[in-house]
Amino acid sequence: MGGLSLGEKHFIQGGIAQDLRCDGRKRLAYRPIYVETGVIPQANGSARVRMGATDVIASVKAELGKPSLLQPDKGKVSIYIDCSSTAEPAFEGRGGDELATELSVALQRCLLGGKSGAGAGIDLSSLIVVEGKICWDLYIDGLVVSSDGNLLDALGASIKAALSNTGIPRVQVAAGTANDEQPEVDVSDEEFLQFDTSGVPVIVTLTKVGRHYIVDATSEEESQMSSAVSISVNRQGHICGITKRGGAALDPSIILDMISVAKHVSEQVINKLDSEIASAEAQEES
Amino acid sequence: MADKGGATPATYSPSPTTGRKKPPLLKEDWIRPDGRGFHQCRPALLDMHRFLSDSKCSRIDGALLIGGSAKRHLGPVSTRITSGVHGSVQPDIDFFRTGAVNAASGSAYAEIGNTKVIVSVFGPRESKKAMIYSDIGRLNCNVSFTTFATPVRGQGSDHKEYSTMLHKALEGAIILETFPKTTVDVFALVLESSGSHTSRCLGFGKRSQLEIMLCEALLLIDSMFLCNVPLQEVIASDNISECVSGDLPVVISCASLALADAGIMMYDLVASVSVSCFSKNLVIDPILEEENCQDGSLMITCMPSRYEITQLTVTGEWSTPKINEGMQLCLDACAKLAKIMRSCLKEAASDSQE
Repeated sequence: MGGLSLGEKHFIQGGIAQDLRCDGRKRLAYRPIYVETGVIPQANGSARVRMGATDVIASVKAELGKPSLLQPDKGKVSIYIDCSSTAEPAFEGRGGDELATELSVALQRCLLGGKSGAGAGIDLSSLIVVEGKICWDLYIDGLVVSSDGNLLDALGASIKAALSNTGIPRVQVAAGTANDEQPEVDVSDEEFLQFDTSGVPVIVTLTKVGRHYIVDATSEEESQMSSAVSISVNRQGHICGITKRGGAALDPSIILDMISVAKHVSEQVINKLDSEIASAEAQEES
Repeated sequence: MADKGGATPATYSPSPTTGRKKPPLLKEDWIRPDGRGFHQCRPALLDMHRFLSDSKCSRIDGALLIGGSAKRHLGPVSTRITSGVHGSVQPDIDFFRTGAVNAASGSAYAEIGNTKVIVSVFGPRESKKAMIYSDIGRLNCNVSFTTFATPVRGQGSDHKEYSTMLHKALEGAIILETFPKTTVDVFALVLESSGSHTSRCLGFGKRSQLEIMLCEALLLIDSMFLCNVPLQEVIASDNISECVSGDLPVVISCASLALADAGIMMYDLVASVSVSCFSKNLVIDPILEEENCQDGSLMITCMPSRYEITQLTVTGEWSTPKINEGMQLCLDACAKLAKIMRSCLKEAASDSQE
């Protein structure tokens, strides 16, 4: 954001230094999170998350596919993010691509875990239908509708909500097919199975402005940042992924400090998000 | 999906797996495929020189590179440093000199284990007219792979993710204020990606021992033998975005050396090292087959003299003490790598004076 005057910049920086930000929050306070689920009827699961003026939608689509030969006992998950030009004129055409790729990579890193599957938010082996033959491919698509900072945390939250909203059709496999043939399947359109999303981590981004760091920065605050570290933490308090943005270098002790702060903050965020998701689901059903 | 409310909200539980058991936990006496210690890096070879008009540059023989073997000398050997970052027994690796980039302001070649990377730096040059005015310099990074860098012939295209990672790792170290209105180009070319050769050798030799430790790599070979699937297909079917992240630290370290060679002002050299986590063990500088069965990975790029981290990525599940340990391990290794890089620079400088 280039439209800030020197005075405004000082105001933002000074406020953060005194633990009172422009919108009255403290450094480690989130904006209220609003969750709506089931916003896209065409998808298997979807959710919309709003935090202040940041507005994102995530949809989950499941398709039957073939597992990779290297991992015949696992399904596949891919995450794609699209930055719509409705959010910011700069995203028009190819303008949003760079940000979109950065967000997709960060989300894949934070939510999908290591190669062996440790720390993964989604248990890939639960997506298998017939080992080596058929599995579910999950396509998670995120859309940035409106952007006012902290996109990564919002997208992470919306994916978590969309996954808990996702119903995967039960599949009947026709018995008695020969070993080398592709078995026939019958996809049920009445019975759905739900995901266990308790393992999906939340992402907490700590943005460093001056000597302090803040959570849930608005885009004005982000324009003043020197660097930002996004840490994904699951319910057990384990770190599931870290990405760093911004060029400025950080001392290792600061990073370790950020990790412990993120762990502390994530507890509140997980509880808040879970209750929001539960109430959104209840509202949808009524 | 409002209609699914009627269904019983059963948890989507994993279907009972048949046959294949979970790989056993790594044993204490586990040996790495290339015989290194857990906390030992691959041997590093760094070369960097100003491409003076009178330098005896030799061309890279294309055939040699396609064969992927660097076991021959080509041309005179220049600055040559062979040293494992944790300094123990080194296999002697031959090394050749590049003359492909005469025009570059600075360039460097690094060979760490099987990974071979050339980085050339151009500029500072005038920024494109279309760019808005900037009172600090711009950094333009690009990482590409040769078509023969990987076991399967690749596209040879640019690697977007690596390019942004390289940019993010370097921008904090360069004093951009020293070249306002101009752009510095950093082009990295990965000649050979790590682990491409050893994976072929796995099928032979100490297989029984390897079986315990290299679940995935062996699965690959097994599946090739059992199903008669050509290697090409096995790898092509895998997720395209999965690349050898073991190459990135080499690219970053090599790029900072090339920047220093080009005389771009920096706060410090940037060294980069990654560790993999296997249940309880931490393994430094992993190669491809290790990465394929890791629980998590951590990569740090840092400026060792200033003791600051410019870039950090973590995947997989880590506890806080584990992260502490991994970071410390990386930082120590980075400091040692930077020492090697520094001595390489010094040697090149004294060579050109003679």
